[in-house]
Amino acid sequence: MNHGKMHLQETAGLYATAAALRLALFTLFPALPDLLTGRVEISTPVTSFKRLQEGLFLYNHNVSPYDGGVYHQAPLLLPLFSLLPDPSAYPIFTYVLYIMVDLLSAHALYKIAESGEAASSRLFTSARKDRRWSGYVVAAIFLFNPFTIATCLARPTSVFTTCAILHAVAKAIYGTPFTAMLSLSFAAYLSMYPILLLPPLVLLAYDRQHASNRILSLLQFAGTNVAAASVSLGALFAVSYLLTGSWEFMSSTYGIQLTLNDLTPNVGLWWYFFIEMFDSFRSFFLGVFWLHLSSYVGGLSIRIRSQPLAVVTLLLGIFGIFKPYPSVSDASLFFAMLPLFRHVFPLMRYSFLTASVVLYSTFLGPAFYHLWIYYGSGNANFFYAITLVWSLGLSLLVSDMTFAVLRDEWEVERPEMVGKEIRQI
Amino acid sequence: MSSPLADRLDHGVASGIDASASAPAAEADDNQVSNRSSQPPAVRKLPPPESSADTRRRSLVVASFWFIVLCLGLPIWWKTTTIYRANLPLSQMTDWADGKTCSPVFPLQVSVEAPALQDGEAQNLMRITQYALETMTDFPGYRLQLEMPQTTTADQTTDPSRESNTALTIRLQPGDVAASTLHPHLPVLEVTYPPSSIPSPESSSNGFATYLATQLRSTFAEEQAIMSYLLATSSIPSDQQPQGSSLDTTESLSKRMTRSLKYSGTYHLTFSLFTSGPAPSSWDIEAAIDQYMKPVLDMLKPIHNFTIDTQVQLYAAPGVHSQVLSKEDLSSFINAAEWPLSPGIGGAPTVNFVVFTGNQTIGMDSETETSQSWLIPQWGSVYLLSPPPATHVPSDLLKQPILTFTSHLLSLLGTPQSGSLPMRLSTLTRIRSADLLLRASSSLGSLARLSLALPSISIPSSVADGVAKSMHHLELACANLGSTESLEHARIAEAEAERAFFEKSMVGQLYFPDEHKVTVYLPLLGPVGVPLVMGLLSELKAWRQRRQQKAKLS
Repeated sequence: MNHGKMHLQETAGLYATAAALRLALFTLFPALPDLLTGRVEISTPVTSFKRLQEGLFLYNHNVSPYDGGVYHQAPLLLPLFSLLPDPSAYPIFTYVLYIMVDLLSAHALYKIAESGEAASSRLFTSARKDRRWSGYVVAAIFLFNPFTIATCLARPTSVFTTCAILHAVAKAIYGTPFTAMLSLSFAAYLSMYPILLLPPLVLLAYDRQHASNRILSLLQFAGTNVAAASVSLGALFAVSYLLTGSWEFMSSTYGIQLTLNDLTPNVGLWWYFFIEMFDSFRSFFLGVFWLHLSSYVGGLSIRIRSQPLAVVTLLLGIFGIFKPYPSVSDASLFFAMLPLFRHVFPLMRYSFLTASVVLYSTFLGPAFYHLWIYYGSGNANFFYAITLVWSLGLSLLVSDMTFAVLRDEWEVERPEMVGKEIRQI
Repeated sequence: MSSPLADRLDHGVASGIDASASAPAAEADDNQVSNRSSQPPAVRKLPPPESSADTRRRSLVVASFWFIVLCLGLPIWWKTTTIYRANLPLSQMTDWADGKTCSPVFPLQVSVEAPALQDGEAQNLMRITQYALETMTDFPGYRLQLEMPQTTTADQTTDPSRESNTALTIRLQPGDVAASTLHPHLPVLEVTYPPSSIPSPESSSNGFATYLATQLRSTFAEEQAIMSYLLATSSIPSDQQPQGSSLDTTESLSKRMTRSLKYSGTYHLTFSLFTSGPAPSSWDIEAAIDQYMKPVLDMLKPIHNFTIDTQVQLYAAPGVHSQVLSKEDLSSFINAAEWPLSPGIGGAPTVNFVVFTGNQTIGMDSETETSQSWLIPQWGSVYLLSPPPATHVPSDLLKQPILTFTSHLLSLLGTPQSGSLPMRLSTLTRIRSADLLLRASSSLGSLARLSLALPSISIPSSVADGVAKSMHHLELACANLGSTESLEHARIAEAEAERAFFEKSMVGQLYFPDEHKVTVYLPLLGPVGVPLVMGLLSELKAWRQRRQQKAKLS
């Protein structure tokens, strides 16, 4: 308790500054939130705040929110938002809610960083573990990351997923596996793909169990945790069913992610591919893309078994590239986890290249989108090309980090090789 | 897309990171073999042997990828690329197309009314005439069935249209010479005969009977010519077709058939008044249509429905400005770019009737002939009206244009030209039924051939439904050929067959050869398949080497 209080004192200034910055942006530039809400880079069909408004309107008028095929988000968001006053009349309440969610995420991140799990886990301790940023710095990097701020201003519902994922990780690290599973099932309920984080998260929770009530068998531990996650997910579905009165929400929220019926452009790789795809192969390639996305879970969890937090981070990076409706908010989650691994930064080889590519696509992406949609002087290929560059930058970062983590592990095994030139064969 | 990452995970990283401290030429291409360490370390430094835990972990990683490919990938591939082919009754469809199931040979009933003749005499005359008809070699495709009406022969008020299958009534009346005239308004052939020409009960041939048969044949000659033209242009093989039309009639018929519109249950008639100047600006079109065209439209009702709209357009410039229009000018007279003549609104094909007031005239070859209108094939017709004195065109001025339009409408609908109007219309019903039957059958045949020719095309169940419906209605249409229900059934059958043939998902696949599949699979096989397969191969190689080493050690 005392410890927690100290945290709060330490970080209160930081959180206050971050909240003030966001509030200032919200109030000084009243047009900014709506402008950002319309950006395809931030708002996807499954997270957009605008679409949430549509669903909310239908819900408040006793029409099924999924009628009309605009709203594709989880049903439980509706009662939450209908508690708030109308966002067009009193936007401040919505702003405060989103700022709170951002601060909660930052707090979870703070706790993750303070635990030191990234550099020294149960099975592995890095030789460079002293080289790390405090939770204060990590939370600050998250809170003042322009991607995070832009996401907060645009108010997509993906921030709730981000918050739930970060809390799941934090709870797993602090030895409360069931809370972690509950949190993860919230994340999975909101946007489906976080369910793929279950294996590394179970491993993480297994490694970080309290000594007092340890379950030694991994299988038993995994079994109870998967059961806990399924039960809480089932309960969420049941509540949604009671709320909307039908199972329609399943096909409208998860079905749309599985079948990609809405081909609104975004920063991901799917939309253009499926615009061009022959109809007869469409379902086959949907299967291929989803399998590709999920195939990394097993391989990474086995290979980097000793550092489950690294697996979670890498998977978040991979999801940010390859999931059906990615946005910069997914990238901001990955960028938030990345500073935890400061100890491997010296081992990364393409930091400059990665940074340049990400910056390049960040600046050119909106410009190319504008050329395509508003001026009509470019076409869809312009924007798709820049999203390819963006994905290239992110995948460079992910693979570079994979390399660095593995090299760090290898240097513990072979201390005599530290600092030597190596080659992959 | 996934290649750098997947490759690293599955292949490179998993197989460990090797170091070569010195020259890059010192290639440690086989890190499994560690017993070569006797070589000088300055030249080549080999990695230490992999621990068994590392090997096992690498195998597990490779296995985890292959597990997903085999347990999830293969079933998905199988399920999503299997082609659904609904069962089509192919042999029946081909039978329809070949005319084996039903050939459009219409049994026509011709009733004979002979009030002045005794029953026996009349029966005898009918028998001989029937025989004469059947022996006419150049008149196939028709079975004319002579019969006496059931009611008393003296009943002159018998409504000829009472029985839909009675195509013609012959009224025999005693007279001076053998002569025949078609009734101008009823499907009745009035024949006078000299009483002496009635055959005796014993004779097997008779001059008057032959005369009667010839008259009947010439009455139905046009219909027969059109039928054989339809059959000749259909998909039915020629040995099953009734022979008989000469070449020049075929030519004129093909001209007429290309002129007429495709059959539709409903036509939309657009009457437009275009004026070159500010006047006339209004016209009494509604009254004129009611008065001059409505009767014909009412008679056409069993075959077609009509919807009508009208418009007036001032200052409309025609496509040709010369004072006297030559024959070539007529085709470009319609100013398609500026005149608001929209094509088919709401599905029904549009027939355009244009009245143009201006002082242009049509130049004919000879000086004396004049003409005011012309017909544009499959589109409509144009009438040049000389400018009326007032700004309003009264309905009596529109009489001539509307009558011309009516006759043009009939020929646009493909109505035969000879005979009285009721006869022409009943002929039209039969021609249209035959036409639709043949079209539907040939669509079915094409679909059957298509599904045989392209084994990789998917056939959705909606196509099978359409085929079944189409064949059902074809059978119904065939069961009572020549009636208006048969026309309706044939129309449904044709629509269903067309819908099945032009099914959206099938049309796209018509142009999808198997080679395209390579281009579809290659982006997948390249970046995903190569690391997967290479990982598996190197894993197998390592496993074999380990076994060999074990064998050597033991």
